[in-house]
Amino acid sequence: MADVRPEEVSAILRRQLSGFEKEVDVYDVGTVLQIGDGVARVYGLTKALMSELVEFPHGVFGMVLNLEEDNVGCILFGESSEIKEGDTVKRTGKVASMPVGEKMLGRVVTPLGQPTDGRGPITTEKVMPIERKALGVIQRQPVKEPLQTGVKSVDAMIPIGRGQRELIIGDRQTGKTAIALDTIINQKYTHTEKAKKEGIKPVYCIYVAIGQKSSTLAQVVDKLQQEGAMEYTTVIAATASYPAPMQYIAPYSGATLGEYFRDSGRHALVVYDDLSKHAQSYRQVSLLLRRPPGREAYPGDVFYLHSRLLERASKLSEELGGGSLTALPVIETQAGDVSAYIPTNVISITDGQIYLESGLFNSGVRPGINIGISVSRVGGSAQIRAMKKIAGRLRIDLAQYRDLEAFAKFGSDLDKATQAQLLRGSRLVELLKQGQYVPMPVEKQVVSIFAGTNGYLDEIPLEHVLRFERELLEMMELKNPGLLLTIAEKKDLSDDTVARLKKILREFTDAFKASVRA
Amino acid sequence: MKNVRVARRYAKALMAVAEERNMLDRTAADLDRIGALVRGSRELRLFLARPIVSEEKKRNVLRNLFGPSVGPLTMEFLLQLVVKNREPVLLEIIEQFEELRDEKLGIVSVDVTSAVEFSPPQEKELTQKLELHTRKKVRVRFALDKAVRGGFLVRIGDTVLDASLRHQLEVLRERFTESGPLTN
Repeated sequence: MADVRPEEVSAILRRQLSGFEKEVDVYDVGTVLQIGDGVARVYGLTKALMSELVEFPHGVFGMVLNLEEDNVGCILFGESSEIKEGDTVKRTGKVASMPVGEKMLGRVVTPLGQPTDGRGPITTEKVMPIERKALGVIQRQPVKEPLQTGVKSVDAMIPIGRGQRELIIGDRQTGKTAIALDTIINQKYTHTEKAKKEGIKPVYCIYVAIGQKSSTLAQVVDKLQQEGAMEYTTVIAATASYPAPMQYIAPYSGATLGEYFRDSGRHALVVYDDLSKHAQSYRQVSLLLRRPPGREAYPGDVFYLHSRLLERASKLSEELGGGSLTALPVIETQAGDVSAYIPTNVISITDGQIYLESGLFNSGVRPGINIGISVSRVGGSAQIRAMKKIAGRLRIDLAQYRDLEAFAKFGSDLDKATQAQLLRGSRLVELLKQGQYVPMPVEKQVVSIFAGTNGYLDEIPLEHVLRFERELLEMMELKNPGLLLTIAEKKDLSDDTVARLKKILREFTDAFKASVRA
Repeated sequence: MKNVRVARRYAKALMAVAEERNMLDRTAADLDRIGALVRGSRELRLFLARPIVSEEKKRNVLRNLFGPSVGPLTMEFLLQLVVKNREPVLLEIIEQFEELRDEKLGIVSVDVTSAVEFSPPQEKELTQKLELHTRKKVRVRFALDKAVRGGFLVRIGDTVLDASLRHQLEVLRERFTESGPLTN
């Protein structure tokens, strides 16, 4: 703004003013009949369309959600306290939409796309409607590329593919958000030169916070910034202080932004955290609009509410650029009750679920994923070959361990084979433990799990397993970076690689055992 | 405004009965007169709206006030309103009745708001223009509002034709200030 000359100012003013002297403006209006709690009934507005944006006084916008015989039900996206009965409501002729573009990355925005991070306005060229129809069968193709979460137990046994919808479900305080955040942070490597060489395309992330505490969200944003993950991430904030209508549209805005990346041939990941709160805010809005309540007082269309949202996740066909939109919805259960209404709905819509248990979490298994009942229905075909080869063994070993776990207390009374299985299982469970915000690249995961399933860990005392893993990976990075690179680039374990890996592991294990004894 | 639905139902019923008995014009004239009186008298409005006053008293007052001048159908209707506790909605019912009658006769009522009073020839010209525009007979109600600042705005049903200075200034302000994504 520093050097604008006076003549330029008048030129700008003239440009702004041109076309201003329109003779008559025509618009449709209605009158507020009733207002309160984020919804309004409006008389008139006879030509209003479904989900059209309407303008109330004091710059408050609303969206048409009910078209009735003699009035229109609207939800409000702003303060309703300043609006009175009898106020005039104007039609805008537009449906609710969201600005999209690269400029949104690194920002915290409201569900309507206005920035709330105090870093100035966002200028985007494109605006897309919030509610869009999901793509049909012809435009899609099966999921085939992996979306690495960086969490060992997920990438090995519950693999997620780009374009998949994987539910993260669990009680409060079981680490649901942690898995989602780790996944976002782990996408950082997809934006590096190294990933480009390996043929891995960058993944843009969108984190939609629905009904969370603002302080929690501030921590999340702060963490993402520290990890350098905000560069490719947009946070859509509809915290608990936002009116319910805003929380209701937030995930759709997130999907719209994700679709922008998908439709331009890129890859996007959207985290909806969480959909239980989303269903609750929709219930609030619906009941206030006097729609009849159904089970658990949710309206009849809560299933459609979530199915139309999650159906928008997709992997596009090559003709359409091959972009993808992966969805990670989060559901919070009450006391582990997955048979409640919303959890069963979302479980049936998604392509699998990651089930987190507070029991596991509290006993030190973190992330507290219950491998037994967690599934991924489509991700398997997206896993890299190297991982696929070793993950099968891991899954079997862990399943056997779970079956035998009850006998563990008999200790030495058990036969040799059972004891060996228990030993192996306990080592693997220990190996799958992982800290928060430390996602692990897939090649390191492969080495780590290879050591576990091939019995190298059986010789190590349980309490030294994590140190073993840490030092093994350090050693690999320092002394054998070539081998890690081979796994990352070939994405497969050839016989030669296996032989080399076995040799290195043998030497390392022997050296490690000596250090334990000392 | 809140009682539009109720008012519309009562007005429809009255209309139907009046047509049946061939008393539409008489009833309309009666309601016009009652409307004018109720609008003019704050006391009467408060009296009708007060739930504390007994039904009996309300009926007596209505009979004394309107009994000699209005037709039997209108009187019957007023008393019935009291029985149903809908007498506070009387004014709105009258408005709805007028609207229904206008619909029947093909008359559109138009509100014109301006900052400065129209001169009679201007009024005539505007009315003619509006009749051309709507292709119907037009009843124009003129109102003054200084907030319009200049020009005028015409409201036909739900549609507003806005040629006011106020609106133009608002548009101008939107252009100059950074407009949010909603107004793009």
